[in-house]
This record gives sequence, structure tokens and C-alpha cells, in this order.
Amino acid sequence: MVENKTFTRGKFVGARVPRVEDDRFLTGSARFIADVKVAGMKHVAFVRSPYAHARVVSVDVSQALALAGVAAVVTGEDLADVGRLVDAMQIEGLSKTPQPVLAVDRVRFVGEAVAAVVAEDRYVAEDAADLVVVEYEPLGAVTDAVAGMAADAPVLFEELGTNVLYRRSRAHGDTDSAFAAADRVFEGRFHTNRFMAAPMETRGAIATFETGPDRLHIQTSSQTPHLLRMALAGVLGMPEQRIRVSTPAVGGGFGQKIATSPEEVVVAALARRLGCPVKWVEDRRENLIAGSHAKEQIISLELAVTGEGRILGMRAQLIGDGGGYSFNTSSILVEPQVAAQSMPGVYDIANYDYEVIGVVTNKTPVASFRGIGWTAGHSARELLFDEVARDLGLDPAEFRRLNMIAPGSFPHRTCTDMLYDSGSYTESLADALEMVDYRALRERQRELRAQGRYIGIGISPYNELTGFGTDSASQAGFPFPSHDNAMVTVEPTGKVTVAVGFHSHGQGHETTFAQVAADGLGVAIEDVAVVFGDTSTSPFGMGTYASRSAIIGGGTVSLAAARVREKVLAAAGRLLEVSPEDLEIVDGRVSVAGDPDAGVSFAEVAGAAYFDPRVRGEGEDVYLSATMFYDPPATYSNGTIIAVVEVDPETTEITIERIVASEDCGTVINPMIVEGQVHGAIAQGIGGALLEHLAYDEQGQPLATTYMDYLIPTTMEVPRIDVNHLESPSPFSIGGIKGIGEGGLISAPAAVTCAVLDALAPWEPRLRTLPVTPDRIAEICRQE
Amino acid sequence: MTSSKELVEVVMTVNQTEVTRTVEPRLTLADFIRDELDLTGTKLGCEHGVCGACTVLLEGEPVRSCCTLAVQAAGGTVQTVEELCRLPRGARLRESFKKHHALQCGFCTPGFLVTSYELLEDRDELTVEEARRELSGNICRCTGYQGIVAAVVEASGAD
Repeated sequence: MVENKTFTRGKFVGARVPRVEDDRFLTGSARFIADVKVAGMKHVAFVRSPYAHARVVSVDVSQALALAGVAAVVTGEDLADVGRLVDAMQIEGLSKTPQPVLAVDRVRFVGEAVAAVVAEDRYVAEDAADLVVVEYEPLGAVTDAVAGMAADAPVLFEELGTNVLYRRSRAHGDTDSAFAAADRVFEGRFHTNRFMAAPMETRGAIATFETGPDRLHIQTSSQTPHLLRMALAGVLGMPEQRIRVSTPAVGGGFGQKIATSPEEVVVAALARRLGCPVKWVEDRRENLIAGSHAKEQIISLELAVTGEGRILGMRAQLIGDGGGYSFNTSSILVEPQVAAQSMPGVYDIANYDYEVIGVVTNKTPVASFRGIGWTAGHSARELLFDEVARDLGLDPAEFRRLNMIAPGSFPHRTCTDMLYDSGSYTESLADALEMVDYRALRERQRELRAQGRYIGIGISPYNELTGFGTDSASQAGFPFPSHDNAMVTVEPTGKVTVAVGFHSHGQGHETTFAQVAADGLGVAIEDVAVVFGDTSTSPFGMGTYASRSAIIGGGTVSLAAARVREKVLAAAGRLLEVSPEDLEIVDGRVSVAGDPDAGVSFAEVAGAAYFDPRVRGEGEDVYLSATMFYDPPATYSNGTIIAVVEVDPETTEITIERIVASEDCGTVINPMIVEGQVHGAIAQGIGGALLEHLAYDEQGQPLATTYMDYLIPTTMEVPRIDVNHLESPSPFSIGGIKGIGEGGLISAPAAVTCAVLDALAPWEPRLRTLPVTPDRIAEICRQE
Repeated sequence: MTSSKELVEVVMTVNQTEVTRTVEPRLTLADFIRDELDLTGTKLGCEHGVCGACTVLLEGEPVRSCCTLAVQAAGGTVQTVEELCRLPRGARLRESFKKHHALQCGFCTPGFLVTSYELLEDRDELTVEEARRELSGNICRCTGYQGIVAAVVEASGAD
């Protein structure tokens, strides 16, 4: 057993513990938002704009209201008492675009809600929504961020007079000298695809309002219950302690369920206005056009390189296509700002200048999605790296290794002021190369090429900023102070309740936090229950996003468990009449160290602490409960993903043969859950490389509005994925834990894309617009 | 309810219980199962037959309940995850899914279980390739499928 004051690694932390929550989902008894019924509830359907950009001339709700079963139809003007949603980031020079929860005067993307219908069931609500007559006066649409920057472009927010909400340059080192000294300069302009979280469960909410004094209860599919409560309090003008946000089972979020959605606010406002519970569950089309999009950026990169392949300097311009509003909670800057900061990645680059530009366009607003910012920046950089290596005649693995931050140089401060706590960059690259037997694979590639078959290898080493707290946010370029809490309580029977502010929507928190608490207290994992997702029972927490739960949750739970263990030992010491320092807790028994027979059960100590006055010290807090906070320093996980693909130049068919991932997230709490995160993120990355793109036509009509045209990878596209674990515990975080959620989606799109282009090397391919679609491959292979 | 709607009586056997409801002809089988019978294990992920989360067995065959009307299932026998997970083959799948970490958020899971349950009806010793092909009609956004495929392959050979 490894132990320090705050973190104990016993029989559970580090073990492949099966998930304790699985049976609920496997029996169909888990309750998601669509499964929840509240007595007397009515159903909401939204009337959504068919135009990308238009003036709303009039909204006639009379026919809809006349339909039997319709309780109410409200427009933006009807909700004048509801505040507008605005992003919370306080960044100098960033213009704000407050968003009405139902459009007033103007719509700025197809799918923006203009009115809401409340009816006895969803079928009638949709019928009535079709009867709402909205007169629009179409305006010119901005469908491309670069076009939107032009002086004569239609302007989305007349009061701002421009579509450019933010523009700022930063210089690090002496980039001009680096470029002057370079043997070669490479450049490329990359347009990364717009794709989205697309959780299997769409968004949804049920609101219940009680008067005297007012109480609002909103049940919603959210990753961030406490943040939603704050936002609702603001826009509804209600004190936050009168609002309860609770989340039933949440069917995936991947970032889309972080921001407060306009629809959640409308549902809450309708419950208050109508005095009856109202429910809204989004359909897939709504999710695809009105749920947030992600990742689209236009990134221009320049690299100054020596003839031997040493990178001397880098310049970048990053243009974020933010869609119709700088979305609340996460601003228009999340993509380009984070990409700009993280562009050096795992490489030792001392001279680097960047310019970040945030532009609104008449497309669906962009917000968080797994690997936010990092995915697009990483894809652009790694694609250019392969072009450089090919041009210089260097092996792509060797080119990367040559420029990597060396082992033994951690902590490493990047030129952009990110402080990499620890890592295994070159080790992870070597490990992944060994996993695929790289030399043999290159040999096979040559042999097959001679036979007219084209396999390719894509090498994608990455790191990711994890444990999004105050320090991490600042390093990413977002001043967003935060802290999180956990409450650990030993109940009178000796059972343990762990309450956290982290939501679980597939990450397995009920298991990982129970592992940490069980080791921290010396009890069985079966004796621990984890409570989350309800502002009335969970201590304040920022929620689950940005790979923060393992490190911050693990930290808060271990801190609280350690404090409670002290209380248990104090009580047991009085019961046994020995000094608490001489006691230990093993397998639910408190005893003198080395003499398990001379002890009492954990349950007996708990019972005594609650009900036996003799164990109470004078003036001492005997309640076996502690709430502890934690706001960790930034930590950085890392890894390398390698994809092996075969491309048929005739049919353009891509077959992913295999993918390997060498990952390092510091101390592993549960390797099985870590592998699940890696597999899942890589699968989304495969989608991002090959399939997923939210295309628009020139008028701003979204062209991917069903799962028939927004393609999610299936069992046929996702190959076997092998995962190796390296462990570089963070010297900064409690227990050495780092996060793990994003790396696969940061790095897999580049791994797969680079592999495809490597396969097509004989055609000297140059691909800078993602994803890699069949027509783009055909275009490459048509070249002489 | 309003009186102007056309309503029809539907009788069917769901999870071994005969049920009778008077419903609109346009009511989907998924909404019938979920809202009329409160059997919410069946999930709606896309409502146009692509994602497979709403899969149930009708006369022993997997169907997309989002694209099937309740009236089409009238007189028939429907089985949902709530029943299947309690039968021996379902219990075997359940254990195998847990062992192989074949679920994360759990939303697509009932659809995968129902599809797999029927898949194992008259098949044993599935290969990985067969399992991948047969499961390709169901979408999971969390797991990357490896655990699901491993779970179904193992459960297929457990007899």
C-alpha cells in the first residue's frame, strides 16, 4: 500500500475494477431525461428558422393556438422578462453577442428557435409548430469565416459593425530571426472540418415550478448542473438557492452539454409562466442543426526549418468560425485561442508568433467538443509536419523525435507559457513505433507498393492539458477561475457516501471515485456510493469536461476521505483506548497496526461516533463527514497514436487496418476505464478524419441534418485499437493523477489523415481541407 | 385528450403480457412502448432508423421501433430489453458486457443488447469479423465498439 497524507493507493486504485453502475444500463432501468415523467407535464416543440440570416418581420401564432391540445405558443417578445445568454469569459478585446433564447427581430442560423409551442403531447406540439406562420425577410448569409471578415460582408450584429469579434497577436521568442536563419520555410493553410459531439442521447429538459416562495426544479441532460443553476439564476432573475438542477442518466455529452442551451432556459421560463411542468426532448435533426457544432478553423502555418529538420520557429494565424453567436459559457474563442496556445504541442519550439481571429458566421454556434481547440491545431501542424518530412527526405517518426521535448527536461515551460508538469514524449513515440513494429511495417509498405497496393502509416504524438481548473484555464488563455468539492460521509452503519459536483455521463465516476474513497478509508468498494448530478445534494462543482474529473475529482475525494479517516481513527482511538497514530484501517476493520484481531469494525466505530457520547472529544467535530476543495495546477497527459491504413486508389476506399495508442495519464485509477476513454475518443477521431462534416450550401442551409448524411463511425470503420499504458505521475497533482478524456480525439484525426496521405505518397499528395472524403482521394489519384 | 383525433384500439403482447391501448394510428411502436407502457429501456437516438437504439424484437425479429407504427405491431409479440436481460442468453450478454467494458453512457446499450440477443439465437462461436458486420447497424458514440464486439463474441461461445 502506497500512502501519503492525502492520497492512498490500496487494493482498488490502479486495478481493473468492473464498473459498479453497469447493471442499471444493461437492464434498461436507468432513467434518462426522456424517460422521466412528471405529473401534469406538457410538451414543448420549437419553431426553428429555415433561413440562415433573416429579419423576423412577424410571427403569427393564432392558427397554432387554435389547435386542440395546445396550451401556449410563445415568441421571443413574450419572453422579454428573460435575460439573454452571453458568454462568461472576461477577455479583453472580445465583443459579446448576447443571444435571446427565442429570436427577436433577426435570426442568425438555420435552426435558431423563433417560437415555442406547449401542448399535451409532442405530436400535437409538432403539429402546432407547423402552424406558426413566421414572415422572414432574408438577408445575405455569411457562410465562411474568411468571407465574413471582408469589408462588404453582411454583418450579423449591426451594433458591432463587424463580424470579427476578436483579433489579437502574440509574439514569443524571436521568430523573425528564426525565419531569417532557416534553410527552408514551409507553409500551409488548413481548413479543418466542422463536426460535432453528437451524443447518442440528444439534449432535453423538464422544468417544474412551485410558487410561494418560488422554487424551480429543472431536470436536464447536462454536464454542468451547478453552472447551469448559476446561468438560470441570472437570466430568470431568481436567487440560485431557489433553483434546483438535477440530471438523470446522461447519454453522452462530449462537451455539447456544458453550455446553457437557449432551450433549457425556455423550458424553465415556460414552467414559470404556465404554472405546469413542461418537457422538451430534442430530436436528432434539432441536435444536428441547433446543438452546438465544433472544431472548424482556418489555420495558416509557417515553419522555419534547418536542412537537417530542426524546427527553428513557427508562425500561425488561426481563424475560428464561430457560427451565429459567440456561444455562452464557451466563447467564440475556445477553438482558435486554445489551438494557438497549444500549437507547439510536444515539440520544443522557442520562437512562435500567432494571431487569433474570432468571426461570427450564419452557421450553428460553435462550442465545446472533446479536445477543443487542440484537435484542429494538432491536425494542421501534423499534416504540415508530414509534408516537411517528405520534402526533406526524413522519416516522419524521426522528424518528430528530433524536435520533441527531451526526456529529463520536465517541468518544461513552453514559449506560450504552458507549464508541462511531466511526460513521456519520446518514450511514448518509441513505444507506439514498437507496437506496430515500425521497421517491418515500412518494409511491408515497400513490398506491397510494388504489387500496386497502398498502405500508409500515420504517426501522431500528442499532449493534452488536463484537469481544467484555474491554472489550466489560464494556461489555455482563458481566465476562468474555479474550484471543485467533494463531500465524503461515513453513515451511522459504516457505509460511505461520496457526493461530488462532477457529473458522470459514461466516464464511470461511480466506480473511479468509489475506488479512490475505498482506498482512502480502507473499506470495500461495495460499501461506497457516489452521489452526483443534483445541486441539492452535491457540493458545488464546475462539472465534467476537459478531462478534469479524474484529477480534480480524484483529488477532492482523496482529500475528503483522508480528513474523514482522521475522524474515524480519533473515534476508534477513544473506543480502543489507544493513540490514533497507532491505528490502521484495513478491509473495513480499525485495529492496532499489525494486530488485526485487536480492533473493531468500521461500522462499530461509525455507530459509536454517531450515538456513543463517550467517543466525543470536548468541542470536537465528531460528524464523520468532510467537504474538501481542490483546484489543482495544470497537468499534461501525453501519448502517441499510430494508424495503419490501406487505400485503394481505384475505388478510393480506405480500410483502417489497425490503430495503436501509447498513452500516459500519470497515475491510472482504473486501466479498463482509461482504455475505454482512449478507444472512444479515437473512434470519434476516425469519424473526424473520414466521415463527419457539417456542410453548408452557399445560402447557409445545413446539408447534414440526419444520421443518413452526418455519418458516425460504426463497427465497420473502427478497427482493433491496442493501448499501452505508460505512467509519468504528475509531480504537481494529488496522487500524480492526470486526465485522459481528450487525447484520442486530439490526435486520431491527424493519425488517420496522415496515414491515408502516406499511403498515397507516390502521388505526392497535398491535402489541407478535412475530412478525407472519397472525392478528395480521387482528386489526388487523378494527378499524374 | 382532445376528441377530434382518430383513435384505434391496439392489442399486442409485450414482454409476455397482453396489453390493450387506444391510440392514434400515427403513434410509433417506440412511443407506444415507452409512453403508453412505461417501458423506457427502449431508447430513441435518431428517430429515422439509423442508430439502432430503439431496436426491439417483433415476432422474434429485430425491428426499429421508431420506424414501426404501433398499429403495425398489433396482434404481434414484442420483446424489449426489460424482458430479454432477464432470460439466460440476455443475462450472459449482460455479464459479458460488464466484463469487457462494453458500455459507457449506456444509452445505446439496450439496442445493442437486443440486436445481439437475436444474433445469438441460432449462432454460436461468432468471429470478430462476423460480430462487427452484424453489429454495424447500431451506433455507439462512447466505446469505440471494441468492448461490445468482444462481449458479443465471448457470449456467443459461452454454451
